[in-house]
Amino acid sequence: MTSLLELRNVTKKFGPNTVLDDVSLSIAPNEVVGLIGENGAGKSTLLKILAGVHRQDGGRMVLGGREVSFGSPADAADHGIGVVHQEQSLLPNLTVGQNLILGHEGDTARAGFLRRRKIRARAQEMLSVVESTVDPGALTETLGFAQRQMVEVARAVGGRQVEHPPLLILDEPTSVLEPEDVEVLHRRVTALKERGSVIFVSHRLDEVLRFSDRVYVLRDGKVVGERIASAATESELYQLMIGKGAAEEIYSSERKQAVPRTGTPTLSVRNLTCGGKAKDVSLDVHAGEIVSVVGVVDSGREEVARAVFGAVPVDSGTVEIDGQRSAPGSPADAVRSGVAYVPAERRVEGMIAGATVAQNIATVHPVKAGGGRISSGARVEETARGWIEKLGIRPADPDADIARLSGGNQQKAVVAKWILGDGLKVLVLDHPTRGLDIGAKEDLYAVFRDLSDRGVAILVLADTLDEAIGLGHRVIVMRDGEITGAFDSPPGNPPSKLQLLEKMM
Amino acid sequence: MIAVATKTSAERTSTEMRAPEGAAQAVSRTTRDRLRLAGPSVVLVALVLLVALAEPNFLSMNALAVVSAQAVPILLLGLGQMFVILTGGIDLSVAALASLATVILATVIGSLGPLAVVVTLVALTLIGALTGLLIVVGQVPSFVVSLGALGFWGAVALVASGSTTIYISEGYDAIFWLSSWTVLGLPMAVWAGVAAVAAVFCAMRFSPRGNVFHLVGLGEKAAMMSGVRTRIVRIGAFALSGFFAGAAGIVLSAQQQSAAPQLADSLLLPAIAAVLVGGCAITGGIGGAWRVLVGALVVTVLRVGGSVAGIDPSFQQIVYGAVVIVAVAVTLDRSRLSIIK
Repeated sequence: MTSLLELRNVTKKFGPNTVLDDVSLSIAPNEVVGLIGENGAGKSTLLKILAGVHRQDGGRMVLGGREVSFGSPADAADHGIGVVHQEQSLLPNLTVGQNLILGHEGDTARAGFLRRRKIRARAQEMLSVVESTVDPGALTETLGFAQRQMVEVARAVGGRQVEHPPLLILDEPTSVLEPEDVEVLHRRVTALKERGSVIFVSHRLDEVLRFSDRVYVLRDGKVVGERIASAATESELYQLMIGKGAAEEIYSSERKQAVPRTGTPTLSVRNLTCGGKAKDVSLDVHAGEIVSVVGVVDSGREEVARAVFGAVPVDSGTVEIDGQRSAPGSPADAVRSGVAYVPAERRVEGMIAGATVAQNIATVHPVKAGGGRISSGARVEETARGWIEKLGIRPADPDADIARLSGGNQQKAVVAKWILGDGLKVLVLDHPTRGLDIGAKEDLYAVFRDLSDRGVAILVLADTLDEAIGLGHRVIVMRDGEITGAFDSPPGNPPSKLQLLEKMM
Repeated sequence: MIAVATKTSAERTSTEMRAPEGAAQAVSRTTRDRLRLAGPSVVLVALVLLVALAEPNFLSMNALAVVSAQAVPILLLGLGQMFVILTGGIDLSVAALASLATVILATVIGSLGPLAVVVTLVALTLIGALTGLLIVVGQVPSFVVSLGALGFWGAVALVASGSTTIYISEGYDAIFWLSSWTVLGLPMAVWAGVAAVAAVFCAMRFSPRGNVFHLVGLGEKAAMMSGVRTRIVRIGAFALSGFFAGAAGIVLSAQQQSAAPQLADSLLLPAIAAVLVGGCAITGGIGGAWRVLVGALVVTVLRVGGSVAGIDPSFQQIVYGAVVIVAVAVTLDRSRLSIIK
């Protein structure tokens, strides 16, 4: 069988660092190939070479039987390689149709004018390939995340007509999708196999196994394994990825200690209605307890979490910290009453890009971090250095711009800024491990366990049901703004995913 | 390079550092930062040398006293402007506010004496805070609100002064020392300017919350979600801008022994130029008091030196315009901009 794409001994260096070392792989027509590896393993560099962003230093790339080398992303697109990036790249102020034809208008533009009806027809055609029901005339900004993603897939697949089947690259497509949307994406990708090939990149090993026919594992810039998906297991892939034996599971749930649920809860939410979504929500989190909240989009769980932190106004109901009525009008008030919040939008809300790691770590408790009322830069750095060491943040440089760190290390710095204070009582985690590689996840879970041992009450909006069950002492399920179920999740006797799903849908 | 299978989590995460962008750009970035930092000082020295070549007397104590005295109003306006620019905004009303300050001062100094200085500073601080309040509460861009404030307060100054220059005679004792007393050959106003720079520097450096303006400018949302009261910070930036506009007005009045409704208006562009030429980023988050000091000196040397070296004054505005654009082009960190507006 001839391959659609073949990489032979591809090497890429950045300065003294070899990022891709003699990488060879092939993708057959009508095949879905999974690509996994930790952050820094070379995945993104490989994708960038395929997408025409970088050019390899050595080795060959053969596409559809012909040797190719891309000078620009447009060049790669002309060769039938479509990329759907993690960050969406549609223009929100254009219609779906305009977005779809953007950059390759072809006959939809004549004499400098766009032909509306022609655009509509073309867009409809492209959308039908991925069986999307989105209206080509709709403004892109009115679409949901999953719908926009499907439009991107349509654009990536149907953009160019080339003689060989198209190659679609999906970079972390599921990391911000809710379970039911992942299902839809899975069906579409399976259907797309009829037309071309797909490279599927994800941190979620279960999804990689489900989506792909074959999986390549990258580590330290090399291909360290190739597996047939149907015959591989998650722990096998994990082992290949990190180069060591996998722990039984990554949530360190064996460290879950029984929490006495007596006395005043550290966080008590009563009849909370807020943000137009959460209705009459009541929940308690005791000292040292981790409570997971699960639910689909619009279940209202985000609003509850943000209301506890004062980032969403409370319409009615109360929030109590240690029995004290807390009415946070702003995050600043919440911080003063001992509430911390790790947001889902790390880049926008979690960290201050452009500031150093040390400055970021000092944002919440500057007096503590700077060593008193008269702050010194040296003390701030020293404090940061301590946390860098404790949490294993790399590079171990308090002076580095936080934007230069990998996602996992950024998130560790974000967590550090909250836990360095003495008065931490309630920690709200909003998708704390979204988009992180498995090693960073494991590290963070261990940190959360330490905090739980210290008596901090933790409310976590889990990314996956596994995470919710593994991490939490209890799992609360929300649907349409209301709590529909609550399960104890002791080690050895956790609730099943099915039990949770029943209450979610 | 780590080729062996690693064991501990700390070691494992160290492999993440090998992410290409981090490694390749880290070096070039710091070199560029250092250039950015040293650039304005180099320009200043070069300019002084150039002017001195054309007119050797430029380096005499007398000439330096004149230059430094001229720099003070620009420096003070620039310092105030700096807070606003650090938070990512701009205050177009500073020069108009400084003119208004001279009028307020001249109106009350006869009856209040030294207290008039305090009254002027308080009034201008409140006016600045009001501008900030409108921006934050109304969520209107600072460019628009401060442009409105420029027109509004400029007109107030015209009305209050009867559109004429007011000569300050009674009560001038309260401020004349600023321009007349000298220490080490430099007027007190210059020392006051230096003291202001040092005070702002120390407050930013040694107070635990001293970097809030920077934090808000770099990431307002993240700062808010870290417990920083970002609205108060932004209002505070405009209040400080007003305060320093008041201080600049007082110095101008002392230097000219008069007040006029448009006395400081021509200083808007030089003040903004001082902030940017000194190396503060127009996009916010980067800057400091020393940079403004260097920038104010560069701008003043351009002004004074231009005349000394015999350049037609009409050309000076051309030079300013060019300098501002070049300064922004050099200091702008384009990696932080998604769109160049």
